[in-house]
Amino acid sequence: MYYAELLLVGIVWGCTYAMMALGLTLVYGLLRILHVAQATIFTLGAYTGLLVANHVGSLPLAFLAAALLAGVVGPLVYRVVYEPILDKPPFVALVASIGILVAMEDGFRLLFGPYGMPFSDNSFSTVTYSIGGAHLNLVQLWMIVAAVVLISAFAVFATRTRAGVAWRATVSEPAMASSFGIDVQRVRYLNFFIASLLAGVAGLLVGLLNNLVEPGMGSVISYKGLAIIVLGGLGNVPGTLVASLVLGIVESFGTVFLDKIMDRDAIAFLFLIVVLMIRPHGLLARH
Amino acid sequence: MRVTLKNTIVAGLVASAAAFGGTALAQNVRIGFHVPLTGFAASDGMSAMRGAELAVEQINAAGGVNGRKIELVVQDDQARADQAVPLANKYVGEGLKLMVSGSFSAPTRAAASVFQAAQIPYISAYAIHPDITRAGNYVFRTAFTGEVQGRAAAKVAGDLLKKKKVTLVTLNNDFGQSLAAGFKEAAGKFGVQVVSEYTFGMQDRQFGSIVASVRKDNPEVIFLVGYYFNGGPLVAQLRAAGIKAQIIGTEGFDSQHFLDIVKGAGEGLIVATALDRGTKSTATRKFIDDFEAKYKTAADMIAASTHTAVNVAAEAVRRAGPTDSAKIRSAIAGLKDFEVAAGRLSFNELGESYKPAQIQIIRDGKYHHFATIDDPVLLAPPVK
Repeated sequence: MYYAELLLVGIVWGCTYAMMALGLTLVYGLLRILHVAQATIFTLGAYTGLLVANHVGSLPLAFLAAALLAGVVGPLVYRVVYEPILDKPPFVALVASIGILVAMEDGFRLLFGPYGMPFSDNSFSTVTYSIGGAHLNLVQLWMIVAAVVLISAFAVFATRTRAGVAWRATVSEPAMASSFGIDVQRVRYLNFFIASLLAGVAGLLVGLLNNLVEPGMGSVISYKGLAIIVLGGLGNVPGTLVASLVLGIVESFGTVFLDKIMDRDAIAFLFLIVVLMIRPHGLLARH
Repeated sequence: MRVTLKNTIVAGLVASAAAFGGTALAQNVRIGFHVPLTGFAASDGMSAMRGAELAVEQINAAGGVNGRKIELVVQDDQARADQAVPLANKYVGEGLKLMVSGSFSAPTRAAASVFQAAQIPYISAYAIHPDITRAGNYVFRTAFTGEVQGRAAAKVAGDLLKKKKVTLVTLNNDFGQSLAAGFKEAAGKFGVQVVSEYTFGMQDRQFGSIVASVRKDNPEVIFLVGYYFNGGPLVAQLRAAGIKAQIIGTEGFDSQHFLDIVKGAGEGLIVATALDRGTKSTATRKFIDDFEAKYKTAADMIAASTHTAVNVAAEAVRRAGPTDSAKIRSAIAGLKDFEVAAGRLSFNELGESYKPAQIQIIRDGKYHHFATIDDPVLLAPPVK
């Protein structure tokens, strides 16, 4: 039973990673940018949700606000920061991205103080369910549900709608897509909108799980997200999702069984090194 | 013409301000204070800053030292060792005679050897690494070392609460590991058996697998070492999972922010710390009350520690004058039962201080006095 519980914990962590990493891999797939600043959007979602929840008192409204504001700011980051430097080598965008992350971490600190903020009502994380002897609280359950619903919605969008087809066409053949009349600019905005919405919702969920929203909450997950998309095979969506879940589970067991040797965050990178030695093109690579 | 006139006025103002400022500064007693105002430790840095500022304000309001006002020369070390060394050299270059560290162990350890070499007295307010005072005879510490706090917590578990089976969940840095070492060292003496041990990282906020493991181990007491930002979520998650074992924490939880995060889950939690809420000491009482009045929030251990360290520094200047750092050093070393916010302080030959451990319990969302452990043998600071 103990192992089932560890597995469940790993799945919850994996879902968190999936929501972050999916956005990262989408941005990489389309623009070849390692979008580290995604973590800023994650933190922004958490702060937005916290402020709405604490002042208005409605959690559904908090989620809506977090998703929308994150969804707006993401494309804005693209328009203001990335677009002017798209013709530069990829590391230029990466440096800009790290710059945003570092600057905004202190930006949040200046705006909201260094201590981090708790939710005034966070009874949800104390509502616990027992699933076959393994315990799960309501927010953990939401994390799984949110990941499954949002990622499935994205899959439906990508495969069943015209905009989704346009998006996929742009990812694989940008020049061809453009000559067939697809508005590449719109696709890019859409891409950042989806990536940022996922990050914003994930940020708020993590804030609720920790009952703490703090300026630096995105930094670890952003670098781990990069490890995950490399594991998944850069730009490979199913690979990224599998890598997220596998990493979550490896960490869940590793936290308990490897804690004398290394910290949870080191496990992610060790795992990355090992996988890349065996499968250099990522977990699901065909060659 | 207008521009020239404006420039002239501005230049004049700047010059006169510099002149007045210059005279004022020359009379002030300047105490260097490095503190993490940005970076991951900025929250503790703010508490540290507030405690130190309050001390300066109180001392100056009471007439300063020997008729001079004291003044903090503040620099941000980001809690990083690589920042601390150039910063320490800068202080040395500016000719400061007295330093206080309002920072963590890594930068304090790094800066300690610089100040020792320059023979400038250096007081560590709350950094706990044992090597800090080993830098030499100019380095002092007003806080407990980690081992001492850990031993106090073991006494709470075995002697005060009469519990036997303990699980340790500790942060994997010097703070967590030195407390864990102290706890294990004293555990046998109080009949306490450590049944399992887990560690977590500074950035961890989600402890699902540790919580599941603690439930499996089913201890009577959980000894937790961390800071408010990881300990808060950890306590909340343990309680949410229905684990009822007594939790003993440490000074890392001794802050209003911890209480805000854990809310109801914190009830009954006990911490071993240096700040006694039920104190009869006038120095401690005045600190707690003035802090609340000034900052509209409850005082915490870190603020108490920097407040203490600045008061020790000021007292040394009062006794030895502001100019001779060797005399200031001797004055600090000679303090006996000096009453400050963190208790009555005396220093040993290594520059470590002895003071009783204050055991506090959370009731109705606030810290209250639970017990005081005044045991000079058990809580003896290191001497070498």
